Parts: sequence; C-alpha cells; structure tokens
Amino acid sequence: MTGTVVTHRPASLAELRDALADSARSGQRLAVAGAGTAAGWGGRTEHDAVLDITAMSGLISYNPTDMTVAVQAGMPFATLQGTLAQNAQWVALDPARAAEGATVGGLLATADAGPVRHTFGSLRDCVIGVTVVLADATVARSGGHVIKNVAGYDLAKLFHGSLGTLGVLAEVILRLRPRPAATATLAVPCDAAAAFDLGGRLVHGSLEPVAVEWCDATLLARFDGTAGGVDDRLRRARALAGPDATDAAADVWQGVGRVVHGEEGDTVVRLGTAPDRTPSLAALVAREAAANAVDAAMSSSPFAGAHTVRLRGGTAAAHAAVVENLREAAPAVTVCRWTGGLRDLLPAWGEPPPAVAVLRAVKRAFDPDDRLGKGRFAPWF
Amino acid sequence: MTWVAELTEALGRENVITDPARLRTYECDGLTGYRVVPAMVVLPRSAAEVAAAVRVCARHGVPFVARGAGTGLSGGALPVADGIVVSLQRLRRVVEVDPVNLRAVVEPGVTNLDISKAAAPYGLYYAPDPSSQQVCTIGGNVAENSGGAHCLKYGFTVNHVLAAEVVLADGTVTTLGGESTQLPGYDLLGAFIGSEGTLGIVTQVTVRLQALPAAVRTMVADFATVAGAGDAVTGIIAAGIVPAAVEMLDNLAIQAVAASTESVFTADTAAALVVELDGPPDDVAEQFDEVQEICRAHGSTKIMLAADADHRALIWKGRKAAFAAVGRISPNYFVQDGVVPRGRLAEVLGRIAAMADDAGIRVANVFHAGDGNLHPLVLYSEAEGQHDRAEHLSTHIAELCVELGGSLSGEHGIGADKACSMPRMFGEDDLATMLRLRSAFDPDGLCNPGKVFPTPRLCGERPGKYRPHPLEEAGVIERL
Repeated sequence: MTGTVVTHRPASLAELRDALADSARSGQRLAVAGAGTAAGWGGRTEHDAVLDITAMSGLISYNPTDMTVAVQAGMPFATLQGTLAQNAQWVALDPARAAEGATVGGLLATADAGPVRHTFGSLRDCVIGVTVVLADATVARSGGHVIKNVAGYDLAKLFHGSLGTLGVLAEVILRLRPRPAATATLAVPCDAAAAFDLGGRLVHGSLEPVAVEWCDATLLARFDGTAGGVDDRLRRARALAGPDATDAAADVWQGVGRVVHGEEGDTVVRLGTAPDRTPSLAALVAREAAANAVDAAMSSSPFAGAHTVRLRGGTAAAHAAVVENLREAAPAVTVCRWTGGLRDLLPAWGEPPPAVAVLRAVKRAFDPDDRLGKGRFAPWF
Repeated sequence: MTWVAELTEALGRENVITDPARLRTYECDGLTGYRVVPAMVVLPRSAAEVAAAVRVCARHGVPFVARGAGTGLSGGALPVADGIVVSLQRLRRVVEVDPVNLRAVVEPGVTNLDISKAAAPYGLYYAPDPSSQQVCTIGGNVAENSGGAHCLKYGFTVNHVLAAEVVLADGTVTTLGGESTQLPGYDLLGAFIGSEGTLGIVTQVTVRLQALPAAVRTMVADFATVAGAGDAVTGIIAAGIVPAAVEMLDNLAIQAVAASTESVFTADTAAALVVELDGPPDDVAEQFDEVQEICRAHGSTKIMLAADADHRALIWKGRKAAFAAVGRISPNYFVQDGVVPRGRLAEVLGRIAAMADDAGIRVANVFHAGDGNLHPLVLYSEAEGQHDRAEHLSTHIAELCVELGGSLSGEHGIGADKACSMPRMFGEDDLATMLRLRSAFDPDGLCNPGKVFPTPRLCGERPGKYRPHPLEEAGVIERL
C-alpha cells in the first residue's frame, strides 16, 4: 500500500461505474471489498483505495414463480436466504462464511461453497446472470433471468474465483430451488478411510444424500426430501453405517464453520484433490501436524474433492512446513487465513495450474494496467 | 510449403480430405440452410495430431472449425471457405470409467449415450441427455453446453464436466479444470463450455457420473387448453417439486406424432404434459401422487401413468420423435429455440399463436415447460413460396423471447444462425467484453470465426433455404 488508503462506497451501479472511471483516470489501484470475510485469501494486494460494495445490497427483483432472484452483489448472502425462506425457496449453497456476513458477490468472487456442494456444486452452478464493471468502467452483462440460456459467453463463470482481479461484480442473478419439506442428518464417528468407504456406499446406493462431509473425524450425511422419504433413507443409512451412527441435530453442521473460519492466529487452507485421495490427504495432515507440533482440523466434501485444513498452535515456521508439504501433495492450495509471520515464510501460491498462461492473458484482456487486486495472484501473475 | 501440403505431411494423406466431392459432406451441420465447402478437412487420430494441425493453421493464419457429429442446429460447425474443418470423429475412445471417483475420461468423439452405456455396469450414468444423444458427441456437448429433457433437475453440460484437455488457437495443449471442483483461479473451464468452439478444440473430457435413480415414474396428463397445462406446471413448481422433466406438446405436435408413430398421446387433446419424477422410491411415490392431484386441480382431462419401463420408453419415443414427425404434416419447417421466464409461458404461447395467424403460417409447440425453453416448429411450404415469411416468423419468435425477458437460445446455441440477433439481447459493451475473453484465448480470431458474434459480413448476407440434413433424411438425427 502506498500513501493514505481511501474508501469508495458506491450505492448504485452508476456510482460504481463512476468510481471506476475516476480510478482509471487517476491510475488508482483498487482492492475490491465486500464484507471482508476473505480479505486475506491468497496474496496481499497493493492498492491506493478500497472499493467497498457493501452499500450495493439491494434486492433488484425476485420472482418466486420463476424461481430466480436478482440482487446487488453487496447483499449479504444470509439476508438473501432469509428473504427466500419466506417462500420456502433457497439458493442451493451453504457456505460457512454466510454466518459472518459474506456477500453474494464475495462468495462468487471467491468460488466458495459448503457441504451441499456434494449435490449442487458451488455458486458457479447457481448463477444465471451477472453485471460486472471492468477496470476501465465498462459495464457488461452476461446470462440473464432464465435458468436455461446459452446465448453468448458466460462471464459469471469467468469471475468465479477471480478474487477481485478481473472487474467488480455489481449484480448477480441466481436460480433458486425449493426448500425440502424435511431434512435429517446422520453422524458417524470414523476416520477418513472409513468415511470415504461409507460415503461411497451412501452415494452409490439409492439414498441420495444431499451432503456428505467428513468433519472433525465424523462423517456427516444429510438427507433432504419428503418427510416419509427422509425417514426411510435415514433408517437405511443408519443400518449401513452400523452401531456408532446417530441422528444429529442440524447444528452439527456448524462444526464445518469452525474449521473453515478458524480464529485469529490460525492458518486455514483450502485444497482440491480427486475424491479417493481424501484418506491419504487426511493421513498426511495428521502426520504433518504431529511432526510439526501443531493442531490440525480438517473438513472435507470427499466426493467433490474439496477440503479445508485448519492449523492451530505452534510457530509460523511449523505452519509453513505443513502448508509446503500439503502443496507437494495437492498443488491446488489457497491459503485463506495466515498466522502471524507466515506470509514472510511462504509464497502466496504454490505450483501454478497448467493453464496459467491463459489466466494471465485473461487478466491482461480485462485489466491491462493491473489496477484491480494487484498482487492477489502473485507470483502467478 | 503451402499450408495444405504442411497439413498433409503432418497428418498423413489418408487423414486429410481435399477432394471437392468428399468435402461436401462437411458443408453444413444440422442447420442445413447454411452451407460452405471448406478448403480442407483433417481427421486427426490423437490430441497431438489436433495440436499439430492447429499449429500449421496458426502459422499460416488459416481459420479452423472443429466438428463432432454435425448434429448442431445453429451452424456452430459451419465451415469457413478458406479454412479447414477439424473432425474429431476418430477420437472416440472411452479412456477410463472410474466408479470410485464417480467420473469418466473420454475423447471428444465419444457419443453422449456411449458414456452412460460405459458407466451402466457400475450403476452410474452421465446426466445431460440431449435428444440427439445417440449420435451427438461429448465434444460437441462441451462446445454447446448441451442440455436435454432432464436438465431442469440435473443441469447442463457445464455442471457435469470436471476437466477438459484443450488445444488452444496457437496449437498449445492445456488442461482446464482438474481432479477437484475446488481449484484456485478463474473458472476457465466454465467459460470454455458453451463457447461454441470459439475458444479452442477439446481433445479429452473428464465428466462426472452419478448413481442411477432408484425410482422413475412418468405420466402423461391431458389438458383442454395450453394455458391450463401451463398453470399445472406452475402449480407443480410452486409445490416445491423438482421433476426430472416436464415436457409439453400442443395439439398440432400431438397430431404430428400420431401421423408418424404408434402414439401414446390422446389425438384430440389441446395439450399434453409429460411429467417424470426420479429419485428415492418413497419420495418419488409421495410427490408423484401430489403431481397428479395438481394436474387434476388445474383441469386435467385425463392422466395416463407409465405402467413400466417399456411404456415409459414409448412415451419418450413419442416425445422425442415429435420434431421429425412434423415432417409428416408439413413439407418444410424451421426449429426454433428460445427461452422465457416460466411465468410468461402462457403469454408467449398466445403471442406466438397470434403472430402465426397474422403470417398465415402454422406453428407447433413441443418444449421443455419446466425451464421455459420453447421449441416452436414453424411449418411452411417451400413450394408455395412461404419460406421467407416462415423464416421471418421464426426469427421474430426468438426475438420475442428476449423481449419477454428470456433468451435467444436455451440449448441449440447462437452459432451462425442467430449471431445477427445477438444485439437484441446484448449491448455493444456486453459483446465487446465477451470479445476480450475471446482475444485472450484466440488473439488472431482463427478459431471458428463468424460464430456467436455479429459481423457486418455475416449479418449482411441472407441464409439459404432450408433443406433436410442427410442424417435427418436417413432418420439418424432428430430436430431438437
């Protein structure tokens, strides 16, 4: 950061466009911010001003019949879900950061998701349209208000995971699903290998769990559906799982949030692997934690190949050693929370993905002067 | 050396086509009104050969167009006169079915249905099911982001592809996506899928497989009015039910089906809904009863339940045959593809009917009612000189969908067909921003030029008249 950091807080698409036009004229470098729940993800940004979109938090249109909703990107995701719940609808996404106030735009820009990613994917799978404002103040739309639509390129996908480096998400249109009449969770204490095995049997059977998560050494399987259907499937899942299985209250899922969120002083990383590497990854995490004298907790959606590891206690050097070894095993690591001093010991990103040249070309095409989120993806670009 | 000679040397004489008579096989895809004979066709046998061909093109500035089975309905595989067609028909290996990781790795020329066949021994299948699934290829599905009758519940190609190996416009080979759904960086894979062959050529695809549903129940509900059927769809959705499929046929479409095949539909009903539920048996049974009640509450005159799998197959055969069947009641027809918000279905159908009356042209409707994806069939007679009027009406229907807050295309793509209508849906800045993405992948614009985006040259030209595709005449493909 250089000099005094100012904050722009546009309240409308027009104000946002004007703020970007001003910044383009003055060459100001911007950090785009929503609720700030992912401000530490990846590399540290170099910026002259913060572009805070939280004043753009309105509901643009909601048509329950069509099961679509359009919102300004700064709307807190939890607020949106509350509105939709009044019509027994929801965005099929349960990111832990929602509880901290994460915005719709922020969740899209960070490609976040929660345990129901097992069935519904991430926000990329729920978004049907976006309006973005580019660094040069160009306002562009893609997609629209209908679920099925193949006209033109899908910019929403491109911005998924962009971490504020391609442009500013201004408006987001989402497809909705009905809230299930009934929901129930089975909890089975077990190691990762047993969890992957049991999860596989639930998935390959006709039980259709909407979420399968291995968190804090417990397999959690959630079933959604009709009251009778959920009862029946829970009973059959319990029979498959054996005597250790118990019915769990809905708040058992908050355990995922405790791993994903972490606390001041923790390090939290996200990784991706093939599903069947979940047990070996869990073993590696346990081994590395023991060898480096840190506490590790892990939450995995094994069949989505999505994992979060939280490191607590021990030194920054110990955290760095663990993260480096995780990167050896699975290069696709995002550091979301950095314990004090860790940034000095570790590059923000590990081995780049195979298509890094395309990532760089896209960045150049959208933000040629590198003014948005500069440094976020360093050293990749 | 000329580029033709270089390509011949790179791929071998037996893997290139330059004979004008054989080149004509590639002059169009399923959109048969547009025809261009390419300068050359190459038939690579591996990703390395695709890359070698593209490198020659890049060096000489030769445009190239990828082609799978050629079943696309928007001219996405329409050749360029001074360019080549890269046929992916020889890349048709199922590389791996991995039931533990719920995925399969396939080459682009593998047909959609063959993926599910390869997965079936493990109780798994590949969910997206375009009506042409027996012949259309996964490479083409990736290019078009194909849907199908069951995408209301299960989503589109983009929701079921984990990774793609692609040859970029400069001939380099890279991978988009990967082993996991949680990868850092822009979702290049998501942007690539549905880009209609304009960002590169896919040479290998990793798709997600899922367990076959334990129960499937299907019904046909008749209605005295199209609006009544539309209201029933709204009622089903409002009840919180997500059917695997909800399809609607109007009377003209039902007549067409009856004229061509053993029809399960009631000949004189104004409209019929095909509703299919799948999932765990208890959930399906409960909701299936509820759907019947909703249909009756909205005035359904008759409900027929599929008795077994064979009966269900017969219903779907009738539904999927509807497009080709229209050929029995009309000498010529256009297939349109547009989307409206579901709540505006009744309105759009009323306006289409009025426009058809004004034009003196008949329009049959067969469509995916659950997601508002219309497929109006504009019936006309070439011999009676109705071509231009019919084409005009067809274009207006797509543009009406945009006017009502929908889209120019739900699943057939923009291709060459609707590029000139894109400014109806998107502003200049929207299209210019999309072109930034294109320039990042393909700065010289060699990859399937003239598709998706309007160009003065393209939009100044008038398309030729509709002629049935050879595969269609042979009964291999259907117009959907």
